[in-house]
Amino acid sequence: MGAIATSNNPTLPQDPNVRGDVILPDPVEGRELLVRGNLTFHQVTEMVVAVNEAPLLKTPAPFVFGLLLAASLMAMFVGYVMWLFWEGPGVWGNNNPVGWAWDIVNFVFWVGIGHAGTLISAILYLFRQKWRTSVNRYAEAMTIFAVVCAGSCVVLHTGRIWLDYWLFPIPNQMGLWVNFRSPLEWDVFAVNTYFTVSLLFWYTGLVPDFATLRDRAKTRWRLLFYGTLSLGWRGSMRHWVTYEKAYQLLAAFSMPLVLSVHTIVSFDFAVSQLAGWHTTIFPPYFVAGAVFGGFAMVQNLIIPARAWLGLKDLVTVRHIENMNKIILLTGSLVGYAYGMEFFVAAYSGNEYEGFTFINRAFGPYWWSYWIMIGCNVAAPQLFWFKKLRTNLTLSWIVAAFVNVGMWFERFVITITSLHRDSLVSSWDYFVPQTEWFFLIGTFGLFFTLFLLFIRFFPVIAIAEVKSVMPEADPHFGEDHGHGHHDAATAGGH
Amino acid sequence: MSSKVIERPTDITVPATSLWAKLPVIAGGVGALGTLATIGMMFGEHKERAFFSYLFAYMTVLSVALGSLIFVLIQHVARAGWSAVVRRIAENSAATLPLFVLLFLPILLGFGHLYPWSHESDKILEAKRWWLGADLGNHSMAKFVLRAAIFFAVWVGLSYVLRKRSTAQDALVEDKEKRNTVTLSLWSLSAGGIFLYALSQSFAAVDWLMSLQPHWYSTIFGVYYFAGSMVGFYSFLALAAMALQKGGMLKTAITTEHFHDIGKFMFGHTVFWAYITFSQFMLIWYANIPEETEYFMVRMEGGWDKLSLAMPLIHFFIPFLFLVSRHVKRSRVGLAIGAIWLITVHTLDIFWIVIPNAGAHHGPPAGAAHGAAGEAVAAVGHAPHLSVALTDVTAFIGIVGLFLAAFAFLMKKNAVVCIGDPRLDESLAHENF
Repeated sequence: MGAIATSNNPTLPQDPNVRGDVILPDPVEGRELLVRGNLTFHQVTEMVVAVNEAPLLKTPAPFVFGLLLAASLMAMFVGYVMWLFWEGPGVWGNNNPVGWAWDIVNFVFWVGIGHAGTLISAILYLFRQKWRTSVNRYAEAMTIFAVVCAGSCVVLHTGRIWLDYWLFPIPNQMGLWVNFRSPLEWDVFAVNTYFTVSLLFWYTGLVPDFATLRDRAKTRWRLLFYGTLSLGWRGSMRHWVTYEKAYQLLAAFSMPLVLSVHTIVSFDFAVSQLAGWHTTIFPPYFVAGAVFGGFAMVQNLIIPARAWLGLKDLVTVRHIENMNKIILLTGSLVGYAYGMEFFVAAYSGNEYEGFTFINRAFGPYWWSYWIMIGCNVAAPQLFWFKKLRTNLTLSWIVAAFVNVGMWFERFVITITSLHRDSLVSSWDYFVPQTEWFFLIGTFGLFFTLFLLFIRFFPVIAIAEVKSVMPEADPHFGEDHGHGHHDAATAGGH
Repeated sequence: MSSKVIERPTDITVPATSLWAKLPVIAGGVGALGTLATIGMMFGEHKERAFFSYLFAYMTVLSVALGSLIFVLIQHVARAGWSAVVRRIAENSAATLPLFVLLFLPILLGFGHLYPWSHESDKILEAKRWWLGADLGNHSMAKFVLRAAIFFAVWVGLSYVLRKRSTAQDALVEDKEKRNTVTLSLWSLSAGGIFLYALSQSFAAVDWLMSLQPHWYSTIFGVYYFAGSMVGFYSFLALAAMALQKGGMLKTAITTEHFHDIGKFMFGHTVFWAYITFSQFMLIWYANIPEETEYFMVRMEGGWDKLSLAMPLIHFFIPFLFLVSRHVKRSRVGLAIGAIWLITVHTLDIFWIVIPNAGAHHGPPAGAAHGAAGEAVAAVGHAPHLSVALTDVTAFIGIVGLFLAAFAFLMKKNAVVCIGDPRLDESLAHENF
């Protein structure tokens, strides 16, 4: 470890509420330490589990308020869904020619958000981005809950939801099978696989941390709860070897899943012959957009949480800055895709392609197109400047813009392409009826799950963060010899 | 995470006796011969094929130079530590880009033969004039040349500055503050550079390759050329690093760990290429719109069908299964086989993009354009039968030779490793675990 890893760490203030926000110069030689404040392993554990170990009756009032708010939105959602069952999808504004609207927009929005979690846990892991250890647990939890929300959108949009099991190829006496040639059917498999692997990945990472909570448990229910969840983990060498192998394998399995799920979601649109939907760049463009939206959601969740939970030493402003850079990159990638679509529509000389894109930008839904461009392409460009991308308030605001923009991206794709199709006599202007409840309701579901996660599960991967701290180096504390350069591989941005 | 002793390399210049020192003359001679022979044949009986052969060779080798450029840009932006020992190789192969400006001239010479839109007309082509240019009659290629000039300005400018500042850094080993300033300046330059690169590379692919079939269009085409270029580049990087060690340089500096990482990128970009290529094919096949299927239809007859069907196997499944193994990536022989294989299939991929257009009959003749878009595109061209012409070989040898000569010439001029790079120590100590 030694010189290389620490050479860029000037003295930081003592106050743990301040030092995580101090903006350090970009390291050239060596790597910045990922955890600030010279914490010991024990201090890290204490810091993370404090919120989990607070007695139930002493849950902070703002948390209870937040949970009640989210839960009441979720209750509203349940009521809305019952009504939807009773009345059918006629309660939505869907009609000819826009037969597919907010239901699918919400689905793609939520599935997309899930992708940042898998990207952080799997792809950044394989790219040896060690700073991920401070944010991956959050992002993975977000993935799981976002996919739950996405799943609820799809399950509920089929009309006769009591027949949803027909989505699966179940042998039946009528000899009826699902349409294997439909990308909607591929979605069923893709999303289910994605959910399963993400859940396993998340849970595998949680096991050692559950064991930590179990070992520290002072009440019976905690002992039973965390004891059951930790699956008998004792932290033996054999356990760790198996764990590391499983983790790496799951990471390798997740990597293609990040791409495949949103690729197949893009196929839902792109295999059609509709101008605005059918274009070959859709698969990578959707994946980039998904990662983009997902990182924005991570920022929206983690910037307040790190302050409220006192985790600034673990999630430093450097972590926020790194994620902002990814937002800048992926935002520009979707900008490239918007531009390329527009260019090729013009280049193709195909009047239907051309019309669709002119109609998007200057037709009746022009406002949604420019919200999309403003939020997704223009807003992240602020992050070119270090001053702005290390400003936490601004980061949160831009991330919120991106979330809005990414929802509108799906709105633009779905609705503007449909509302004026090739048959001019059937052109119409889609107006949502009760769909707002649908969208807000899924947010209630998401935040209920997420707040419960924060309260009961360790929000930072304790064991993993420790592995990138200087103490994890086998030669930590040894006096290094002179006249040679020692190998430093742990830690670093 | 071991504390092994790391020594800074001293074998960092091209030895006068090695093949590397002679390469500029040898490869330059062979390359000039091949290129001149091809240019000669551009005035002969099979001149049309000669132009296509030349374009194929040009786009293949250019893809490696462009891949080098984006590699260097990414390493700076990501503040990559592992790659400092091999970055100079890419800096030099990217700095060959000015050569490609010169080599672009024969393409302009063949403009009228290569690009049907330069002399044909129908309703669709007329709708594309705003971008492509070249009004029928005066054969104006002003827009085409202007755009090429912009692309080259971006590439040559970036690769020149990246190499110049990096080699200047070599002398600053002792002056920590100055050398760190250089690294920081390259970091900010590269961030903007990536954006310019992405746009120029994509539009170059549209201009020089996609417009060979001017009725056809695909939004993913720029990414497709990029994916292939990365496969070509990482394979080139692996081979160049091995050749350096054979030539007596960086014997201990480049370790199995670096080769392993290069191998991972070869593997990863093979998968990426397959993903992009499949996305393009699958969506066009599924929607089955005549404007788009034209591209694949001409490649599904006359022998091209066999290459088309072989592509998934040779460009994806075989290298995937081969390179997925850790042992292969960590073995020099294994990695070399993988790299040669990938360069070969990447070359075939560009061959498959360019050559079917040689002598193809595009659309109806100028006078017969009836206006209706459907009619014009319905007349799908036919590719000539799959064959390898003499000019394919001469052009390929020619441009590869000139590229290698320029590359070796640049390697000789400075240290073969970024000896002043502040992250060199980290790179030397790099381990996969």
